[in-house]
Amino acid sequence: MKLAKLFPWLAGVLALAAVLFAMLPSGKVRGFDIQGFASLPVLEGGRVKPLDSVARNSLLMIRGQQSFRSGGHTFNADEWLLDLMLRPQVADQQPVFRIDDPDVLGLIGMKQSSNRYYSFQALGPHLEEVQKQAQAAQPIEPQKRTRFQSAVVNLFERVYLYYKLRNTLQLAGTPGLAFEMQTLGTPDASQRHADLAQVAQFRPLPPLPGQNADAWQSTGEALRAADAGSVHPALPLLAQASQAYATGDTNGFNGAVKALEARIAAERPEFVSHADHEVLFNRTQPFYQGMWLYVAALIVVFVSWAWKPEILRPTAFALLCVGALVHTGGLIFRIVLQGRPPVTNLYSSAVFVGWGAVILGLILERLYKNGFGTAVATAAGFASLIVAQHLGTEGDTMEMMRAVLDSNFWLATHVVTITIGYSGTFLAGAIAIGYTIRKHLVPDPDPETTRSLVSMAYGIICFALFFSFVGTVLGGIWADQSWGRFWGWDPKENGALLIVLWNAIILHARWAGYVRERGLMAMAIFGNIITSLSWFGVNLLGVGLHSYGFTTNGFWWLMGFDATQALFMFLCLMPSLRSATHRHA
Amino acid sequence: MIKQIGTRLWKIITSFELTIVSLALLMALVFLCTLAQVHLGTLGAVNAYMRSFIVWWQPQSMNISIPVFPGGTLVGMALVVNLTASTIKRLAFTWQKAGLWIVHIGLILLIAGEFATGAFQVDTSMAIEVGQTVNFVESPRSMELAVIDTTDPAYDDVYSIPEATLAREGTVAIPGTPLAIRVRKFFRNANLSALGQGDQPSMATAGVGPGVKVVGAPAVTRDEEINHTTAFIEPIAGGRSFGTWLVSTDLGAPQGFTYEGRSYRLLVRPRRIYLPYAVTLKKFSHDVYPGTDIPKNFSSLIHLSNPGTGEERDVLIYMNQPLRYDGKAFYQASFGKGDTLSILQVVGNPGWLIPYISCVLVTIGLLIHFGITLRRSVKRRQSQKEG
Repeated sequence: MKLAKLFPWLAGVLALAAVLFAMLPSGKVRGFDIQGFASLPVLEGGRVKPLDSVARNSLLMIRGQQSFRSGGHTFNADEWLLDLMLRPQVADQQPVFRIDDPDVLGLIGMKQSSNRYYSFQALGPHLEEVQKQAQAAQPIEPQKRTRFQSAVVNLFERVYLYYKLRNTLQLAGTPGLAFEMQTLGTPDASQRHADLAQVAQFRPLPPLPGQNADAWQSTGEALRAADAGSVHPALPLLAQASQAYATGDTNGFNGAVKALEARIAAERPEFVSHADHEVLFNRTQPFYQGMWLYVAALIVVFVSWAWKPEILRPTAFALLCVGALVHTGGLIFRIVLQGRPPVTNLYSSAVFVGWGAVILGLILERLYKNGFGTAVATAAGFASLIVAQHLGTEGDTMEMMRAVLDSNFWLATHVVTITIGYSGTFLAGAIAIGYTIRKHLVPDPDPETTRSLVSMAYGIICFALFFSFVGTVLGGIWADQSWGRFWGWDPKENGALLIVLWNAIILHARWAGYVRERGLMAMAIFGNIITSLSWFGVNLLGVGLHSYGFTTNGFWWLMGFDATQALFMFLCLMPSLRSATHRHA
Repeated sequence: MIKQIGTRLWKIITSFELTIVSLALLMALVFLCTLAQVHLGTLGAVNAYMRSFIVWWQPQSMNISIPVFPGGTLVGMALVVNLTASTIKRLAFTWQKAGLWIVHIGLILLIAGEFATGAFQVDTSMAIEVGQTVNFVESPRSMELAVIDTTDPAYDDVYSIPEATLAREGTVAIPGTPLAIRVRKFFRNANLSALGQGDQPSMATAGVGPGVKVVGAPAVTRDEEINHTTAFIEPIAGGRSFGTWLVSTDLGAPQGFTYEGRSYRLLVRPRRIYLPYAVTLKKFSHDVYPGTDIPKNFSSLIHLSNPGTGEERDVLIYMNQPLRYDGKAFYQASFGKGDTLSILQVVGNPGWLIPYISCVLVTIGLLIHFGITLRRSVKRRQSQKEG
């Protein structure tokens, strides 16, 4: 009995310990302080971030992963980026380009095989053809491109990013930055410096004392200034690090990295501390951890319905709590890092939708204590974090906000409210799916639990109606404030309206007595379809003011999701499989 | 008998069926309208689906329209009637139902507000270059024929004929002048090109028109497309014709004629509405995030000068921060010409406050209602536990 009480606590503490373990910094690689180098702040995409973020986002975009194995060694993103910038001859042999499209593979003379990853070197002879095909496809609107055209444009963009990174610190194929420092002002140098300034993907040299906080310089720009006689104090250190890395001089590299960090910290300590925090956030990967915690909790809750419920149900709840804690911590960390409300783009909306559903599910579990709250919370949390993981491969998830969206007040009110509305609608749908599965699988479901499921779904639909309505109208008010009309029938606005209308229909149908248990649940599942369409579908149309989060691949996923929901609706309306077999038997 | 019909009708318009059917129809309309935007553009789709009584379907290659679906206006009216009637009939005037009363009144206001917007909102824009002073707004969606008396170098007298009048293709006398304009042919949209060898001769006899080929085109509604409004017109004065002229938004060349020592210019342009005050653009700023082309901020510093009220002041208009003045709101909408041209969207909507009020009402109403429901359900659960 004592163990039964202790076990859930033990599971929770262990899970938390595992998360904390991930926060520990990794050691040196081949004696190089790569971690220290990756913590250096740079300016990319309009914001200051650690090199670590540049490395992870770039590798995610190019390969779809944050690390990879090659030649018996696991490369993390930082080591890969360092190689790419300072030892391109090594990086060019790493299989980092993921290519799935058979036509694109054909273009580069490959057959479709189990190997989906190709190195820059392998692509080399075909780059001209890839560029030609991509440039032919680029003028076509993204939603009108064929699969091949989209894939070839996508490959070209990744190759271009790779090429830019490769030529950011120093031009690939030249002796390197130290050589540039020795040949300042010579005739050929200025052309190289101009090329470097042009292709640089990020700016590693911080603003000089007295300069504007935005006045970061690329290596090329700093070399041009050095040609004219004014040497950025960090430039020689960067040159030292570059030479030391290429020649395998660990002490020289580590010393230069320390000196670089000290140099920036002395003048702009805020950049260094921001970069350190972001590195910690990147390393922890709270949403990824949260995803696995939710899976674990979901499995435990399923088992609990068949075996040892008195121990396993609280254990599942404990894991859910740890998952929610990590998820919440990650959200808060992001809010502080970015200085923005939680939802700023499609990626963060997925994270937040999941969070809202998890918190609501936690509350339901506290109220009803039957494991259903835990099950739907973990399922919803897991699903939305998986979606977020996929959306996160499209680039920096903390990208800068376009002028029209740059309003913390409206992001905090309209966007957060409407996203909570999505959470609610999805959670009601998840409860209904749970109801459907239970109906068909559980022999003689107990009517008390069925009643509580119905009242859970009903309560959550009321909640969702409230938030989706308020969120929609707040969106109208934002639109009125910023471009002069309250309601413009923009696709995203229409999507939000559809959710409000559908929730209103469910409630009215219930009040009028047209639907009872089964009908209400089937309608709640249809709410999932409506919400997924309004959340992602409108981005596929590519029209309107809100079409900022365009995703092509997403279309088939969306259709697949909606098809499963339609299946669940059908199952929900069908009489129980169990009762049917009973009758036949 | 009449009473019987009345009772049945009352029963229908107060029924939940009508509520649910109307809401479902509205959902379908919103969905179709969203899809249609890909081809028709926002305005076209909204006019076809939402701001119409009936949605028409025109089969290709046939010149007939078939009504296929009730339009947004019809469904909206059904909803308002149903909402009002069933609120009166079903909701007892008790504190228990106070929340629902407030919600439904708020919703009626919201729909009414959308009707008001459809009926009264005037969308115009003001394109203004740095240093320039402008005292009019233009309507991007409707054109006018401007007949400008340029005789006096100090000022112009502008007479304008709106597009709707031109479309009737009759003779229009211009008050205050000896002129009349006979509209011989009008195109809402047309494609203009140089007249080739084998082409039919143009209807035009004066100005640049005789060298231009005009082919009528279907009017466009997509946001990024504009109509090339075109007409053949014949100015008449003192019983004499001045020839037939081709005028179009697509023609850049100035055209004009002289009558009794007065010079007149003819041009088709976006319809202008003159304001009793003037706006001067002092500065336009367009910032991007460093190292990117992501826009960070657009703003226009303008000077507002109103001789009628003696107002003279500077105003900064930027994203999410419009100027509300004289019943109009001025928004930063776009820019051009290497960041020296600022385009402001100018919207006049007398009903702009309605949604704000209705939003507050519905929010409060829902909070009250769900609050009451929640308390009741918690009480019931407690009594179940105790019992």
